[in-house]
Amino acid sequence: MAAVNGYPDNTPVVPNAAPVTQVPPAKTVDSQSVLKRLQSELMALMMGGDPGVSAFPEEDNIFCWKGTITGSKDTVFEGTEYRLSLSFSNDYPFKPPKVKFETSCFHPNVDIYGNICLDILQDKWSSAYDVRTILLSIQSLLGEPNISSPLNTHAAQLWSNQEEYRKMVEKLYKPLTA
Amino acid sequence: MEDWSSSPFNLGILDSLTDDAIQEIVDSYNDFCAATQVLLHGAGDLSVGSEFVAHVHGLCKHGLDSLVRDHFLRALEGTFQKNGAFKFWRHFDAYGNGTELEMNNCNPDSGDEVQEVLCKALEGISMEKQYQEKCLLMLVHALQSFKDHVSGGSHSSDADRVYLLSKYQMLVSSVLTATLPRHFPDMLNWYFKERLEELSSIMAGDDSEIQDDDGMGLEERSTMSSGAVQMEIDDSSIQGRFSENNKLVKNIGKIVRDLRNLGFTSMTEDAYASAIFLLLKAKVHDLAGDDYRSSVLESVKGWIQAVPLQFLNALLAYLGDSISYDTVSSGLKSPLAARPSSFYPGIDTPSEGLVRWQLRLEYFAYETLQDLRIAKLFEIIVDYPDSLPAIEDLKQCLEYTGQHSKLVESFISALRYRLLTAGASTNDILHQYVSTIKALRTIDPAGVFLEAVGEPIRDYLRGRKDTIKCIVTMLTDGTGGNSNISGNTGDSLLEELNRDEQSQENTGLDDDFHTDDKQAWINAARWEPDPVEADPLKGSRNRRKVDILGMIVGIVGSKDQLVNEYRVMLAEKLLNKSGYDIDTELRTLELLKIHFGESSMQKCEIMLNDLIGSKRTNSNIKATINQLSRTGSETEGTGLPMDILDATIISSNFWPQIQDESLNIPPPVDQLLSDYSKRFNEIKTPRKLMWKKNLGAVKLELQFEDRKMQFTVPPVQAAIIMKFQDQASWTSKNLAAAIGIPIDVLNRRINFWISKGVIAETLGADSNSHVFTLMEGVGDTGKSVGNSGNSEDLVGDEEGERSVASVEDQLRKEMTVYEKFIMGMLTNFGSMALDRIHNTLKMFCVADPSYDKSLQQLQSFLSGLVSEEMLELRDGMYSLKK
Repeated sequence: MAAVNGYPDNTPVVPNAAPVTQVPPAKTVDSQSVLKRLQSELMALMMGGDPGVSAFPEEDNIFCWKGTITGSKDTVFEGTEYRLSLSFSNDYPFKPPKVKFETSCFHPNVDIYGNICLDILQDKWSSAYDVRTILLSIQSLLGEPNISSPLNTHAAQLWSNQEEYRKMVEKLYKPLTA
Repeated sequence: MEDWSSSPFNLGILDSLTDDAIQEIVDSYNDFCAATQVLLHGAGDLSVGSEFVAHVHGLCKHGLDSLVRDHFLRALEGTFQKNGAFKFWRHFDAYGNGTELEMNNCNPDSGDEVQEVLCKALEGISMEKQYQEKCLLMLVHALQSFKDHVSGGSHSSDADRVYLLSKYQMLVSSVLTATLPRHFPDMLNWYFKERLEELSSIMAGDDSEIQDDDGMGLEERSTMSSGAVQMEIDDSSIQGRFSENNKLVKNIGKIVRDLRNLGFTSMTEDAYASAIFLLLKAKVHDLAGDDYRSSVLESVKGWIQAVPLQFLNALLAYLGDSISYDTVSSGLKSPLAARPSSFYPGIDTPSEGLVRWQLRLEYFAYETLQDLRIAKLFEIIVDYPDSLPAIEDLKQCLEYTGQHSKLVESFISALRYRLLTAGASTNDILHQYVSTIKALRTIDPAGVFLEAVGEPIRDYLRGRKDTIKCIVTMLTDGTGGNSNISGNTGDSLLEELNRDEQSQENTGLDDDFHTDDKQAWINAARWEPDPVEADPLKGSRNRRKVDILGMIVGIVGSKDQLVNEYRVMLAEKLLNKSGYDIDTELRTLELLKIHFGESSMQKCEIMLNDLIGSKRTNSNIKATINQLSRTGSETEGTGLPMDILDATIISSNFWPQIQDESLNIPPPVDQLLSDYSKRFNEIKTPRKLMWKKNLGAVKLELQFEDRKMQFTVPPVQAAIIMKFQDQASWTSKNLAAAIGIPIDVLNRRINFWISKGVIAETLGADSNSHVFTLMEGVGDTGKSVGNSGNSEDLVGDEEGERSVASVEDQLRKEMTVYEKFIMGMLTNFGSMALDRIHNTLKMFCVADPSYDKSLQQLQSFLSGLVSEEMLELRDGMYSLKK
């Protein structure tokens, strides 16, 4: 029987970086840090590759983004795609961005102008949220609307009848033009 | 009236002529013509002289002296044409058709024959000419005596004589030139060539002496005047030999003189000049040949002194110096013509003509040698350090001729044809580039031509993928990283780094002196303008310091890429090192720092510091653990001793991307690692160790029934072989699961053990599952294993087994980032033009590494994505493929 003596030698190890203690930032931050934050969010979003949600700053302004979400599977919005606009203020991330649907969306919590009624975009906003979580929340909002406080009452009434609702969505849906 | 009568065109004079006078004139004229005829055909009989004079006087009386002259000259011309030229050319009729044949035969006898013919012909025509001149003089006398008679006094005037003689000379040469057979210049050429070759071969005996002398006195002959020293030594022998050759030279001189008298001055000179040049060219080619290891310039110069100049000296002396002035075709006197007379050994006072000849010959020699060397420059540079003498020669030639542009053109075309081809390895190209830089630096310290020559090489190298890697290897590896040109240590760039360091120290010293006015003056005096060929766009010489490293870095474009590649290679080296000895790396790093700057090498410095820190921490941990285990529990008893483990603790932020592979290492080792990291945590709270278990090196010894084998292998290989300690046979699937690596990785890695004959591979029941069995004895393997039992094998790092991500991998990763960004923006904006994608990436892709590609690079990347059917391109707009 062969005897094997192993001598692990010089195996490189990486020391864990000391835990980063986040200094709570002041309420007023210069736009430079907003810029940084948005840039890193963009990087995370691009590299994260969440299916069905995406966003990208407009050509010359990192405070204005365009977003795209697709309707989740097994919902009435399956196979649809909606364009959003996100505009960030200098107070971001202490204030939520303004998010609107650019393309019309037949949904109880979205009005005809594209305004969205979503708690995390209003009073429940936290600086821990980011573009990715906003997009994912809106994506899940599509499938699980809040019927109790509708912006589009017609949609809210129709929600109970999913088949009819699907027909309505298909009728009103305009595919994104490239 | 007086005025009128003197005019030959005065028609009034005709009225005053009586019939008698006319009759007298006609008679005199007829008699004069007859006398002339007799005189010219008299074949030396001058008895008609007095009669002739009387007739001349008769005509002159009537003011017809110009008629006399014209008629006489015309008669001379006719006679010369018939008697002189015709006969003369007839001598050479034999050579009219056969000349070339004879030339090809190079029959030495025919040289003599030609000489004989030439001599005879020249003798004949010279005699004829002399006789005619005598006749002419008679006319001059007749005219003269008439004038004396008329004016009563004897006022001597040479004007008539000079006028008539020069007229006659012109007449002779025009007649000869008009009737010149076409083969005559060729024949002359050939004749002189023959004679010179003969002379040169007689000199050859002495030539060998000169060669011997060359070997001894090479240094002292580096200056021009020292040539004289050597020549003085040979002085006597040259003189002696010249007396032998006097006859030869005299013969040639006679022929030259005769030809010159016939008005063939320039043709003769052309003939012997071209013969000399031909001989010189042959000599240069003969001396220079294909051997670049010795300087030939001095021996060529020596030969010019010894053969053609001696010949010319003798020739000019024979002809008389006064004539030599008009032998020189170049009318302007060169300022260089005034040379110390000591330069002409054996010639007391060099004539101006000789000096000009020497300048001409030397220029020609320089040019010939230069052309020869330029044509072979590629080979010369290939042999660079050995071929330095040839390069020095070329440098001198170019200084003289100034034909640098010829060099650049010829060398660039040689490069394109011979080096910049797919067949040449990047290493070879780089080495040639370095040699080129060094060689051209010798020729042209300002680096102007180097700039032009280097451009194609740099362009080409930029297109090669492994250029950076080769450069870094050359930089860090003392051997220059080239196995083909082994032992050629002169190419090592490391050496260049060293030199750089030294020169920097020197300039540091210089700086102190610069404040000194004197030094400033010296520096100012040393200033030289750029060569005229310099491209003004490329900066002045101050900026264009010929710096090999700079030029190498110039290939890559930015030092960052080089530094990055170096970092990857350094990481690889450090991770596979056992022990913490990094002296050579530290030295290289210091040198690189000097060149690339402190800040760009910062990460590398941290990597080396990690190693130093690791060494300290490692010994600290081991010391304290051993202490604990001695004082405390016996739980360690079953485990392995801590001594066998050395850890390299790295700050991963500063290291290149490290390949992460999962790996299950044997439990005892794992236990050791966790003990180690626990201790580390105790010492360095709050820091914790994260093991990269797939990296490092494992020394192990395999003990078989009949042999022992030692290996140093990566941990994966060690883990594989450890599994066979418990179980002699594994299926690939089980083994991969046990070690925690994918099957394909396992199959690749286990090949190492199979090749060592430790493990055998057989096909299992399942077609895609292999069974690996441990081979106990050598006999079991069934094949001979090259290495004997105790040999220690080091596993070379094969391609694809690297522990650190290569630069290409990094590049690929960078491109993935861009790809994601591009997909992201296209998702949200539908379709975008190339420009907009480029600008958007520039604007938003700013994280490490930020977007730094050109529009062209992006375009090719995008077309890659199009061909992968991820994107669509329509009307210049990119969009996602649905």
